[in-house]
Amino acid sequence: MIKTVGLTKIYRTDEVETTALSGVNVDIKEGEFVSVMGPSGCGKSTLLNVLGMIDSPDGGDYFFNGEEVGRLPERKRADIRKRNLGFVFQSFNLIDELTVYENVALPMFYTGAPAAERKQRVEELLEGMHIMHRRNHYPQQLSGGQQQRVAVARAIVNRPKLILADEPTGNLDSSNGDEVMKILAELNAQGTTILMVTHSQYCAEFGNRIIRMLDGQVVTENVVKQYL
Amino acid sequence: MFQNYIKIAIRNLQKNKAYSFINIAGLAIGIACCLLILLFVAHELSYDRWNPQADRIVRTYADINFGGNHFQLAVTGVPIGPDVQREISDVQSYCRLRNYGSHLVRKEGEGTQNFREEEVLYADSTFFEIFPLAIASGEARTCLTKPNSVVLSRSRAEKYFGSAQAAMGQNLIVENESAWKVTGVFEDMPANSHFQAHLLMSLNGNREIMEATQMWAMSNNFQTYILLKEGTSFDTFSEKFNNLSRQKIGQTAAQMLGLSLEKLEATGQYARIGLQRLTDIHLHSDLDVELGPNGDIQYVWIFSAIALFVLFIACINFMNLATARSAHRAKEIGVRKVLGSTRGALIGQFMSETLFMAFLSLILALALASAVMPWFNELTGRAIQIPWASPMFWGLLACGVLITGFLAGSYPSFFLSGFETIKVLKGQLSRKAKHGGLRSALVVFQFATAIVLIICTTVVYNQLNYIQNKKLGFRKDQLIIIDDAYALGDGILAFKQEMLKHPGVESATISSFLPVPSNRNNTTFTKSREFRQDNSVNLDIWDVDHDYFKTLGLELIEGRLFDKNRPADSSAVILNETALKNFGFTDNPIGKKIYYLESEPKGDTKPSDFVEYTVIGVVKNFHFESLRTHISSLGLFLDDSRGLITLRYKAGESRSVIAALEKQWKAMAPTQPFSYRFLDEAFSRMYQTEQRLGQIALIFASLAIFVSCLGLFGLASFMAEQRTKEIGIRKVLGATTAGIVGLLSKDFLLLVGFALLLATPLAWWGMHKWLQDFVYRIDISAWVFVMAGLAAIAIAFITVSFQSIRAALANPVKSLRSE
Repeated sequence: MIKTVGLTKIYRTDEVETTALSGVNVDIKEGEFVSVMGPSGCGKSTLLNVLGMIDSPDGGDYFFNGEEVGRLPERKRADIRKRNLGFVFQSFNLIDELTVYENVALPMFYTGAPAAERKQRVEELLEGMHIMHRRNHYPQQLSGGQQQRVAVARAIVNRPKLILADEPTGNLDSSNGDEVMKILAELNAQGTTILMVTHSQYCAEFGNRIIRMLDGQVVTENVVKQYL
Repeated sequence: MFQNYIKIAIRNLQKNKAYSFINIAGLAIGIACCLLILLFVAHELSYDRWNPQADRIVRTYADINFGGNHFQLAVTGVPIGPDVQREISDVQSYCRLRNYGSHLVRKEGEGTQNFREEEVLYADSTFFEIFPLAIASGEARTCLTKPNSVVLSRSRAEKYFGSAQAAMGQNLIVENESAWKVTGVFEDMPANSHFQAHLLMSLNGNREIMEATQMWAMSNNFQTYILLKEGTSFDTFSEKFNNLSRQKIGQTAAQMLGLSLEKLEATGQYARIGLQRLTDIHLHSDLDVELGPNGDIQYVWIFSAIALFVLFIACINFMNLATARSAHRAKEIGVRKVLGSTRGALIGQFMSETLFMAFLSLILALALASAVMPWFNELTGRAIQIPWASPMFWGLLACGVLITGFLAGSYPSFFLSGFETIKVLKGQLSRKAKHGGLRSALVVFQFATAIVLIICTTVVYNQLNYIQNKKLGFRKDQLIIIDDAYALGDGILAFKQEMLKHPGVESATISSFLPVPSNRNNTTFTKSREFRQDNSVNLDIWDVDHDYFKTLGLELIEGRLFDKNRPADSSAVILNETALKNFGFTDNPIGKKIYYLESEPKGDTKPSDFVEYTVIGVVKNFHFESLRTHISSLGLFLDDSRGLITLRYKAGESRSVIAALEKQWKAMAPTQPFSYRFLDEAFSRMYQTEQRLGQIALIFASLAIFVSCLGLFGLASFMAEQRTKEIGIRKVLGATTAGIVGLLSKDFLLLVGFALLLATPLAWWGMHKWLQDFVYRIDISAWVFVMAGLAAIAIAFITVSFQSIRAALANPVKSLRSE
């Protein structure tokens, strides 16, 4: 599903040049659950952003489903993104002015799904995440775990082929974190490919492969033995 | 999608109440100002346009510089209309109007009450051909043909007779003597007409016309309107008219002065009769003897500029606040972008938000505008209504809101939607968003506008104050004027004697002539019994009684006053200093003789046609006309002139004097209307235009400052918010509250200082130009600018410090933890 060849990304400020990615090669098959680990500043979030097509690489090739997408214009990438990808962030990134229901439904507005389908799909997901009773609440009225469940629901509302999660449990206590990890694992079991950045070895092991990064490069890739 | 946008917009508004209030209220004030002023401008531009022939009508005016006086008159002579129609084939018709001032009018019958009618005009029978008003009763073509016929407006017909039908054929008694038969009723004239008439009286049989000279530019008392034939261009007619005019005035010069027009003009003196278009009269004509107060194109421009400025300031607030608030919207933008929103969709979202807010502002603005409309009408002296029923009005309004919304929303939309997705999600805003050169420029512009308005207001009020307090040469306080005193008939002297017995009355005088708008009369006097251009002085002639000087407080500097014991004083004159100078009576003027031609000059004049007057005194120059003009030559004569009684009362006695006056009046003339005014108020009214300008400048300056402060307040709060962390760190490191307030206020004060630099030359230039209208004027002193600058800085500082003090007092632990 994803294949990168010599992916590089350099951040430039006025005087300083920081190499975030230098020649990263990753290969992710459909149905995999891949965890990315590494110390702060190793480039794992940058990798996630580039693979999520919200940032563009400075060099190398990025094939998504066999198509080179790294050099596509923003508009095209946005189009691929909204149909194929779902995002989960550490800080949830829910829109404060929208209710739970509206937050989850938002991606379907951008893909232009009909209202009836939207309603059915969103309600189905809210039921599944056990937050149906909170559908008319605003994000600030929810606990962290509930917010992240809303964010996950939003990420999968368009049935994406790939979910990109950036430290999804980083802002949660262990029991809420566990719950979110279980949801992700379940989605993976249903066939969704997942790429997750995490600091936690415990969370990483929910996946079936761990990529370790250091200074913008992939250091090791090991397969996780234990399955849930 | 759009629904989603509006939903977010509404929730954003609810969540940030202060911000929403600043934005919507500011914009509403801007739109309301703009709306009121544009309605005013539209009204001003519509004058006389109701007349379908407006483009084919011209009026004649006189421009005469002779005998030391320069006149520009809206009136010309009797022969001009007929001569032009005879000589120039382009003329379809002409109509003369003669304004004799107000009349006392009553219905025929015993003991009917007199009313004072202000809008009375004597008109040629062609009136309705040139001004095609709707006729309610009677025949437009013939109703003014017969002598002593009067045509009433519907409102006057109803006032006197109950209805238009009932008025027909009835008689009105004018000035308690002559009977006038109602031969027609017309619908009231539109308000946007440069003159108003409620009684039109036939000029047929008018003595002034019958006895008038046939010479041009000799006697000028009639407004003359000329209707051109269809297809005639103004320019070609104007050329023919000017040729005729020069020829006719040349004849006058030759006949009266024995000079050719060229020779007269070589002395710097001249007489011209010119043309002005009907549609130019209201906004471009500022002549003497206009039929009503006109507008001024200058004020239309000033008003329009102010309206646009206030709207622009409000738009700037909108843009500034929206961009300053971008930090709060950044996350939403990032999320939307990640979820697949394109930049276009985001621009669409912010635009629809802005438009939505502009729409809310419009509703508020309409409510505001209709609420202040009566008061605005008072301020402008107009009767403007909001045209609720006009589709055009709504169409323009919709366009206006769209344009305003786009104007205010475009910059924030493009700015916000241009954020880089990852950066905003990470909470890194571009440095641009924090500082913003454009935002600073906008604040400078706002405050420059406000400062200009403050300076203008101060200068206008200073000038008005100067006028009020200037030594005028007479004492304007504690004087009561009784109008229409002639209605007392022969009882007028008894009335005056009776009032002098009242302990509150110091003195009283009977004269139609006062140093406020009242009767005026002028003619040319000579130094010998012949007419020559070099021995003539144009003199204002005031007929006064023995008590005039004492009552008005005029100062005699040479000679003596009129004396009751000298019957010969009926041929005596007291001149003012200007007249003295123009006659060339430099030393020992007392006893000098001046002359004037008693009858209308018709041709060859004999020395015996001249009447002789002896100079017995010199009165110190006093301002008998407005301070816009120089003091011209004036002669005071002892003669009957019973239009007004003026009384000087003792301080604090005005109430009892007025009560006594009214009682006495009711006893002596029960059917005559009693009306009085104070001379100092009449004096102030001469500067109504300036007072209006002052009020308007004051109001808009306040609004501009208010709206600017709203913006500054919002901006300061966001700045303080953005620098929360910096403030926290500084406090931890030992900064004082005062130091932090200074730090946060410094930037804004710098901007206001810059605005002051920008505003000063602009305001100086504008006010310098405005003051040129006055011959007697103040100098613009530097302290005006210093004061305006200090005021602006103080206002800005108070506005900003409210936020910065709050930020400075906040607990640093809290602000640092929130990062």
